Amino acid sequence: MWKVRRLVACVAMFAVLPLAITVWAQRGSRGAARSNVSRPSSSSVNRNVDVNRNVNANRNVDVNRNVNANRNVDVNRNVGVNRNIDVDRDIDVDPRYGGGYGCCYHPVARTAAAVTTAAVIGSMVYSLPSSCQEVSVNGLTYQQCGSSWYQPQFSGSSVTYIVVNPPQ
Amino acid sequence: MKIQALALVALLVVACNRQSSPQGNGTASEPSQAAGTAGVAERAVPAVPAPADVGASERDASAIAALERMGGYLRGLTTFQIRGETSRDEVLDDGQSVEFGAVVDMIVQRPNRIRAEVTSDRKHRLYFGDGKTFSVWARRMNYYATIPAPATLRELADTLADKYDLELPLVDLFYWGERKSLDEIRGASDIGASQVDGVTCEHYAFRQEGADWQVWIQQGDYPLPRKLVIRTTTDPARPQYTATLAWNLAPSYDDTAFTFVPPKDAKRITLVETAATATH
Repeated sequence: MWKVRRLVACVAMFAVLPLAITVWAQRGSRGAARSNVSRPSSSSVNRNVDVNRNVNANRNVDVNRNVNANRNVDVNRNVGVNRNIDVDRDIDVDPRYGGGYGCCYHPVARTAAAVTTAAVIGSMVYSLPSSCQEVSVNGLTYQQCGSSWYQPQFSGSSVTYIVVNPPQ
Repeated sequence: MKIQALALVALLVVACNRQSSPQGNGTASEPSQAAGTAGVAERAVPAVPAPADVGASERDASAIAALERMGGYLRGLTTFQIRGETSRDEVLDDGQSVEFGAVVDMIVQRPNRIRAEVTSDRKHRLYFGDGKTFSVWARRMNYYATIPAPATLRELADTLADKYDLELPLVDLFYWGERKSLDEIRGASDIGASQVDGVTCEHYAFRQEGADWQVWIQQGDYPLPRKLVIRTTTDPARPQYTATLAWNLAPSYDDTAFTFVPPKDAKRITLVETAATATH
């Protein structure tokens, strides 16, 4: 019986604390299906998407075990996994809604998109940080996000943003 | 991450159980269940199939002829309207595919006019070609760009792809049946009769470098492409694109449909030339 108690105690140590694992991972896209057979494939394959994935694994492992002469074994197991996958959000809708249609055939862009506080002048991003304001200066359109300035442009059919110096 | 979490739980249970072993049969189900969970997680990693060999297929002359006939017929159409429903796989870094759908509404008046609207969950674009200029308008963001347009839609498709990395919707319509694209085809088969949206079509399958594709061409005097499926073979995940097309060969429209008049609050931005974009 002492062995059983030890087992129960050991499992209970972990069972009492719900094992909450939150992972934020950014998954890129390695390419889309080509959408024509008449043009060289390279032009359409290289478009990448950023996926913001939130994996919340809340795991309750409750093992209630009674071992006695009658051999009664109850295992109550509760495993819940909440997964949230956002693909290809943002760029297009409204920059303020956040998310991120994707990234990047531009390695710098990925970095800049991930670390919004350090926008590198001249780099291109596919999504803006939150709290941006559209500003027109000398007929040109910018997005001002804190101290960083972005100039929107079309890269193919996608709207992307170049990090620029504050306009004079 | 999920795998790691599962493996962690499995390890804990197994570790606890080992401590208390040898145990009676009453706990025997515990480690095997835990091991089973970890096993499932491992098996969830997708296997990567080898790319197909394109060279081995035969080239059915009647299937090639059907493409030529369709292309010739399409080039002979002065005006047409299409409503297309498309889906396109996007392959994530780990090989998982996710599918995006879109609807394309397009009016074409040869030689040089086009209006197309593409609507998906994530993007809403309108394209206007009035013979003199080409404009793209991101409707929700209210940005647009305008460039000078070449003389024909075929040249426009070339310019947009080569210079701006922008693919016109359903762009094959402007190339089909040309010698250059026919020469690309290494395998061609006539699969047989097939119904697409109640229309009897002939179903053809083709192979070329980087893609296996199929087209359903309407039988009879109007050889229109009714459906197109393209499977990209350069990626082991073999992502697929599908377009189903509804045709109107006598559309009613106003000439102004092809001219973009920017809304008052729309902002003009640049359409970046590929040379400037391709800094990867």
